[in-house]
Amino acid sequence: MPLVKLYGNLRKLARSANGTGGGDRRIAHGLNISGDTVQAIIEGLCASSPELCAALLDQGVLRPYIRVIINGRDIELAQGLATPLDPQDQVDIFPPIAGGSLAGQTTAP
Amino acid sequence: MSGDSDHYGWAGKILDIDLTTGAIKSLPLDETLARLFLGGRGLGTRFLWDEVGPQVDPLSPANVLIFAAGPLTATGYQTSNRFSVSTKSPLTGTVLDANSGGYWGMQFKKSGYDALIVRGRAEQPVYIEIKPSSEVAVPQVSIRDASTLWGMRVRAVTEKLGQNDNRRNVLCIGPAGENLSRIAAIMNDGQRSLARGGPGAVMGSKNLKAIVVEGKYRPEIQDQELFKFMLYETRKLLRASPLTSQALPEFGTSVVMNLVNNIGALPTRNYQQSQFEGAEAISGEALTDTYLVKNASCWACPIGCTRISKTEKVEGEGPEFETTWAFGAQCGNDDLAAIIEANYLCNDLGMDTISAGSTIACAMELAEKGYLDADLRFGRADLFAQTLEDMAYRRGLGDDLADGSLRLATRYGAPELSMSVKGLEMPAYDPRGMQGQGLLYATSNRGACHMRGNMLGLEVLGLPKLIDRFQVQGKSSYVILHQNTSAMIDSLVICKFTNMGVAEEYFARVLSAVTGIKYATGDLIRVGERVYNLERLYNLREGFSAEDDTLPPRLLNEAVAEGPSKGWVSKLEPMLKEYYRARGWDEQGVPRPQKLAELELHGFSYPKELVP
Repeated sequence: MPLVKLYGNLRKLARSANGTGGGDRRIAHGLNISGDTVQAIIEGLCASSPELCAALLDQGVLRPYIRVIINGRDIELAQGLATPLDPQDQVDIFPPIAGGSLAGQTTAP
Repeated sequence: MSGDSDHYGWAGKILDIDLTTGAIKSLPLDETLARLFLGGRGLGTRFLWDEVGPQVDPLSPANVLIFAAGPLTATGYQTSNRFSVSTKSPLTGTVLDANSGGYWGMQFKKSGYDALIVRGRAEQPVYIEIKPSSEVAVPQVSIRDASTLWGMRVRAVTEKLGQNDNRRNVLCIGPAGENLSRIAAIMNDGQRSLARGGPGAVMGSKNLKAIVVEGKYRPEIQDQELFKFMLYETRKLLRASPLTSQALPEFGTSVVMNLVNNIGALPTRNYQQSQFEGAEAISGEALTDTYLVKNASCWACPIGCTRISKTEKVEGEGPEFETTWAFGAQCGNDDLAAIIEANYLCNDLGMDTISAGSTIACAMELAEKGYLDADLRFGRADLFAQTLEDMAYRRGLGDDLADGSLRLATRYGAPELSMSVKGLEMPAYDPRGMQGQGLLYATSNRGACHMRGNMLGLEVLGLPKLIDRFQVQGKSSYVILHQNTSAMIDSLVICKFTNMGVAEEYFARVLSAVTGIKYATGDLIRVGERVYNLERLYNLREGFSAEDDTLPPRLLNEAVAEGPSKGWVSKLEPMLKEYYRARGWDEQGVPRPQKLAELELHGFSYPKELVP
């Protein structure tokens, strides 16, 4: 099964979903979730927590700024939610995050 | 522009202090310069052009320190707390500006000046005090004895001089600046820093320990109604953006650690690898789970990205992402407490955390490869504290490390192991995994820098859209836009994080409301381009050339061995050619006369043959 890792506040939502509060280090180390596409993985997460689902999706579409990375490559540069997965893949899901200097974000060519 | 009610935004005055003669002058701010360069970095660069030529040693009395606020500073607009210092860098020899947040910049502007030029050298240690007098328009300025303050660390001297966030603010150097470390920072409000490029050493060379400011002046705002509306709109936008309302407050800047690592762009062990196995342990999530005490914010900032962290030994501001990386992945260290303590120590000694951490990493590689006889090894976080103390006081090997990685690596026979551009240590993004970032580092006027634009948004975070981080063709236009926009924001002066939620158009509208001068968005970006080109001309006048627009050979020749960036080197050369063309510069990276004319920089042509 692909290894799914959550980051930022998505971790807190997953921890509250499985009743472990802030102490479950497995969330940081990753969860094995079955699925052969990113869509299937997201659906698996949604089944575990409506709050987590709401943080990830808006009417079935990934929310703005959510990044899904498969083995270091962003799914936006692959097939989006339809991107196929192998069992040994690592899926990283990031909430909106920011850092560094991001000037120019609104008028980039 | 005099601060009278018929002048707006700018205070209209420059304070000029000669520490050699003790002369203190108040000069009018030229209205045309203010319109063209705004303030902060822009105005500082423009003054530096006239003040400090190629014959000047950065640590001589002929160099100047130009502290500058901007037209928005202290107006109460969101994040209008920032200010900058401009000087010739003792680390790189390039034009330098460094900027900082906190409270000091706001308080300085409220003293009734737009800029302070400090020149010469005092015979004995001194500090400058600027206080209101009975007549608000004429502050009381004095040069005072600092012989009992010399030798004190940053926190102690800040407290001694009466730091009070909203009333009286202290800017100072620590032992690193006094001992002329070329990576010394100037610190303000105790824990904020004007860090990069060694401005603290310039201050130390002038025997200037501190500048204390108190102010009563309030900048006049030409269109109060529009200004209030812009405040309201900006507040709404910052609240609506998940970046400024959630990501930064909740996890701070280090929340990008795992993402940058997972894509294979986190420089590790002096850029020998691009992924760090200990990234999770030093991430923003880990900091929040372990050592975070609370958040804090600068004056007039609703974002509040500052971390207050506490270990068994220390409690203080930070660490930011770049610092965490410099003493973390770059040194092969996953002990977050050791990073927090190194950050605390750098702040107290007055040293740039990026350059300090990266210089130690360089020493670690030199030692591991036999160039240097020392105990330093990757992962030896237990040696951070002693090494930093030795650097600040120039003891033993610390004396060599105190001047940055390039001088260190050159001295020990391996300059290629300095991970720097133009002598300034590179920040926390590996250009082999983010091609545009490499172009940005190579062409940054103060040396490698992530605050002169940053491709993290476009190449990794998808802000405002995702472009392939390995793509080479077409990257230059993005890099140029980011560089120009950064220079503009640094001239207003506000925090770049506002730009995550607020478009440049809003900055133009608020600047128009404050000053009464009509600025369109394009006018503002043009200010940034003007500043960038003038900085370029300054460096050319100093003898820098296209040959200096490069990266360490490791990044150009050694492909990443493992991970998502495996097989990649930086493909700088084609990007650089495209960049020069898009900038309107010739093949040697010299701005063409028509570009200078377009930017109203006719008189600044250099070399001489460029004069039309």
